[in-house]
Amino acid sequence: MDRQFRALVDQVAAGVIARREFLRKTAILTGGTAAGLHALGRLAQAQPKTKLRVWLFKSFVTAGNEVLAKHIEAWGRERKVDVETDWATFGDREQKFVAAIEAGNPPDLAEMNIYGPMRYKAALRDVSRVATQLGSAKGGFLPFAERAMKAEGKFLGVPRYSMTTVFFIRKDIMEAKGLKPPKVYDPDVVTFAQKTTDPAKDLWGFGQTLNRSDDGDGFMSNILWDYGGGVWDKDGKPALGTAFLKQNMAALQFAVDTIKKHKIQPPGVMGWTDVSNNEAYMAGKLVTTNNGASLYYAMVQKKHELAPKTLCVLTPGGPAGSFVGSSCYSWAIFQKSKQADLAEDLIRWVEDESRFAEYMKASVGQAGPVYKARVDNPYWKSDPNFDAMVQNILRSVNLGYPGPMTPAAAEVQGQKILTDMAGRVVVGGLSAERALKEAHGRIEEIYKMRRA
Amino acid sequence: MATPAARLPGRAALDRREATVGLRLVLGPDYRLGFLFVAPIVLLVLALVAYPFGYAMYLSLTRKYVGVPPVWVGFDNYVKLTWDGFFQRAVANSFIFTFGSVSVKLLLGVAMALVLTSRIRFRSFFTGVLLIPWVAPTVVSALNFLWIYDYSLGVLNYLLVRVFRVLPQGVGWLSEANTAMASVIAVNIWRGFPFFGISFLAGMKAIPAELYEAAAVDGAGPLQRFWRVTLPGIKNIVIIVVLLSTIWTFNDFQIVYILTKGGPGGATQVIPVLTYEIAFGAQRLGEAIAVALYLLPALAVVIIVLARYMRRGQAR
Repeated sequence: MDRQFRALVDQVAAGVIARREFLRKTAILTGGTAAGLHALGRLAQAQPKTKLRVWLFKSFVTAGNEVLAKHIEAWGRERKVDVETDWATFGDREQKFVAAIEAGNPPDLAEMNIYGPMRYKAALRDVSRVATQLGSAKGGFLPFAERAMKAEGKFLGVPRYSMTTVFFIRKDIMEAKGLKPPKVYDPDVVTFAQKTTDPAKDLWGFGQTLNRSDDGDGFMSNILWDYGGGVWDKDGKPALGTAFLKQNMAALQFAVDTIKKHKIQPPGVMGWTDVSNNEAYMAGKLVTTNNGASLYYAMVQKKHELAPKTLCVLTPGGPAGSFVGSSCYSWAIFQKSKQADLAEDLIRWVEDESRFAEYMKASVGQAGPVYKARVDNPYWKSDPNFDAMVQNILRSVNLGYPGPMTPAAAEVQGQKILTDMAGRVVVGGLSAERALKEAHGRIEEIYKMRRA
Repeated sequence: MATPAARLPGRAALDRREATVGLRLVLGPDYRLGFLFVAPIVLLVLALVAYPFGYAMYLSLTRKYVGVPPVWVGFDNYVKLTWDGFFQRAVANSFIFTFGSVSVKLLLGVAMALVLTSRIRFRSFFTGVLLIPWVAPTVVSALNFLWIYDYSLGVLNYLLVRVFRVLPQGVGWLSEANTAMASVIAVNIWRGFPFFGISFLAGMKAIPAELYEAAAVDGAGPLQRFWRVTLPGIKNIVIIVVLLSTIWTFNDFQIVYILTKGGPGGATQVIPVLTYEIAFGAQRLGEAIAVALYLLPALAVVIIVLARYMRRGQAR
């Protein structure tokens, strides 16, 4: 363009063109150039930005969700990536994943629960590189988290945080009755609950559903382990009604007795869903219950009158010890993703310690550590109730314990076979042994099909 | 003068012409245009009904896990289901749920229609109010009932125990096998009876008043008028509504899933919820589809009866 202007200047200087003609031509040249530059700019803007589809888990802790969304938006701006974020809840995440995988249109990156990597193993990428990098930078993984994310020696998910359950106690009632926090279910929890139950006031010493729910299924897993039993043996073979029959029968009988014999649970407990014990506890109807930190978060956020009256302690145990199966939320990248490197970059970004600390603080105890270095964060000393959360996570075992985490173990959980088993005794009138053998038959079938 | 061989029609061309004439005779002179008009709907039906259904049939004959290619197993899924106690219980529960709901909806629907045809004040208002359960989204209704049935915090126990003092203590509506099934049936009835009532109301309004007058002149009382005039007058509507409701209720998922998820202990497990559990919980898509299709022949009989009945009605 400069050359053209110079040529015009030469022409006008040489008198080849008149001054008016010079002005007309330079105006055309300038205007045309400006219009061209503007059009080019628009075209450049119209070029599709790199896009990354991310599915996040919408937990009950809304403040944590907001922080995570903010971090991802910031990453998108920084990297000039168009991030399309979608949320999946407790209620719809499996449907969304199944539908997306079968339609061949999964997201690039997804936040999954502990079962996700095993459930969707066939559709996920090996994320060992980023997992190992993050793990070694943060002091390594807690053992249960590492076992839960690995299949055939490869990481299918990058551990993010652990959501565990703790034992909630109404401190005011406990102190008024001169009681101490129970250490084991039988006899401690039973005695504690019997002394605090008052049906006339609709106040119940213990609230733990055995109905089809994640809460019920988690409790059943824990109690089988507490009695020395479990669903799987150390090789990952079904043991519910065989090798561990005796221990499992004792555990199942105890669980049923809390409702049928000891009468320490509300009469409607077999109709409960995952939120029912939260509601009952906050309504002042329960003295103790097992729940995730989301219950504590809800009370703290709402400045609920029971928040300062609540004591969170370690989950009680049984004759064989105290076992807890905590969840391990994770990042998984789908095989179909063409942006795997970007997805890994985003994982590194949100797992940056300062960003994770912000998320952890907003989550009021729900975002427990899965990296060893995060265990010692001073945050976990900021509230006496957080100690039980961390300690429960530190002693957590993975689904499938004492064996490995397998797709069959995830399927048994998904089909709620343990709560069906308990329900068959409580509601269906079956003996504990018959219910165990019936459930064992279903588990054997799953095991055989998965192996096939 | 001999015709040049090149200008004589070939054998193939003659055959084609004969075939065209034959098709015209069989299908009519405008058969090409007819095909053109029918083609879009045929394609639509093939794409939206036949292909998904055929693919579902195929998947039900495979072992198909999420994200993994299907493996042909023939009728294994169906054979396995036949001897599966949980499936058998789901089938029995589905029948109890369906027939328990439909029979009460039928009675309530007739009662509703009779009340709304009588000369009562604010009839339009009552018609509108009675339609609310039908209009409200099922999810919203079911979630409300989840709260209503709650043992400690629910309004039903509160009314029965504290307000009316009918019961000494509350009932675990969703926590016992019998009450759980009765509770989910009650919600389905609550939601579905207005459809019966409004359909019957439309049928009753179409019955000529002269028939009632003639019956009254002949000395027929209200009950006789109902049996001899009203019921025969709405017979066709009753059959169609009952058949439709049977199909819908049999496939109802939301109410049972939201209220009990098939629990406690499988006491309210019905076919649609079991299908969902196997598909999304167990991720066995082939088996889940087999569950859904297992009772298809029985439902197909209902559909065929309904379709034939409706066609016969049109012919008349």
